[in-house]
Amino acid sequence: MLASSRDQQSQTLIFLPAWNEGESITTVIADVQAELPEATILVVDDGSHDDTVDAARQAGAEVAVLPFHIGLGAALQTGYRYAQENGFKYFAHLDSDGQHPPNQLMRILEPTWTNSADLVLGSRFTQEGDTPGSEFRSSPLRRVWIHILARLVTGIHGQRFTDITSGFRAGNHRAIDLFTQIYQPDFGEIEAVQTALARRLRVKEVPVVMLRRELGESYLTALPSIRFMFKAFLNLMVGRFRGTAH
Amino acid sequence: LTTLLSWGTPLLAAEAKVNLTTRSRIIAAVAAIFFFVLVLDLIRRRKLQERYTVVWFILAVGLLAGGVFPQLLETLANILGVRDTNAALFALLLLLLLALAFESTITASRQGEQITRLAQENALLKLREADRKTGAAAEDDES
Repeated sequence: MLASSRDQQSQTLIFLPAWNEGESITTVIADVQAELPEATILVVDDGSHDDTVDAARQAGAEVAVLPFHIGLGAALQTGYRYAQENGFKYFAHLDSDGQHPPNQLMRILEPTWTNSADLVLGSRFTQEGDTPGSEFRSSPLRRVWIHILARLVTGIHGQRFTDITSGFRAGNHRAIDLFTQIYQPDFGEIEAVQTALARRLRVKEVPVVMLRRELGESYLTALPSIRFMFKAFLNLMVGRFRGTAH
Repeated sequence: LTTLLSWGTPLLAAEAKVNLTTRSRIIAAVAAIFFFVLVLDLIRRRKLQERYTVVWFILAVGLLAGGVFPQLLETLANILGVRDTNAALFALLLLLLLALAFESTITASRQGEQITRLAQENALLKLREADRKTGAAAEDDES
């Protein structure tokens, strides 16, 4: 490994939002440690009622515990706040259910370390189709939905996206500073990209291999997807014109 | 076109109008006074923050005014084009309640944001505290 990459690793925070992922989190943390031994790992527990917190501590991660369940966005923002308070220059976040394989972290971190992007989205699709080797197969309806959203954002912002709701992301201090201020407590992924684009951050999409969800419930299926769709559309319509002051 | 031009004058002037009865006026006035006292008492016992009471005072005053000066409601009914003053009263109350519910949603949104912020800061503070403790314990072990 290059020396510069080692330095950057130690300036990188890897955080994992977790909600009742006690069964999978140990493996994920171990895999991240093996992949990026110099990076700091933070688990943000979003009001789990299983042994997520203990398991994460045992595995050697820092653990921030939200006092009650709020939502994915609020958990992610806790990670961004931690990164800002502790002066991390880079971050990556991934789901703690094993859906985002830690061996793909380098792929999304690389553009931020080489300063060719401020925010990197790991996409389960390439411009042509599924990322080769990807096991991820979501339901047909959801695939259609993801494509519609991606098309809309592409149309509105004039930059091509394929997987706009991906929770596998990396970035630098510019993204950290922005998301510390603004992040929707639930379903904030799309608006986060929009806000970043509005602030002229360089947003890049990188194809990654994703796995089938191993355990646990998805934030998306756990909540009524109608609400998600409504919110996504609302964000798409309003997000562009939204004031950035908070 | 003539109806449009005569906007502001009663559209159904020819029809018989239904006004408030004396009894309903008395009930309104008594309810208003009771409500007024209730709000004041809640403030006195610190169960209600002053800043949330303005709208309730306005409601009480409006109710009282409606009872004492029925012409106010009749004028309103005319403007709305309603024959029955009671209907105008109901419409007014509904609008007011709608506004109140809307205001509560705005308050809830703001408070939700504040609660999220507090929860996040609480989580980070506790983590920092725990790290400080383990750090101190490690130093003790070394010395």
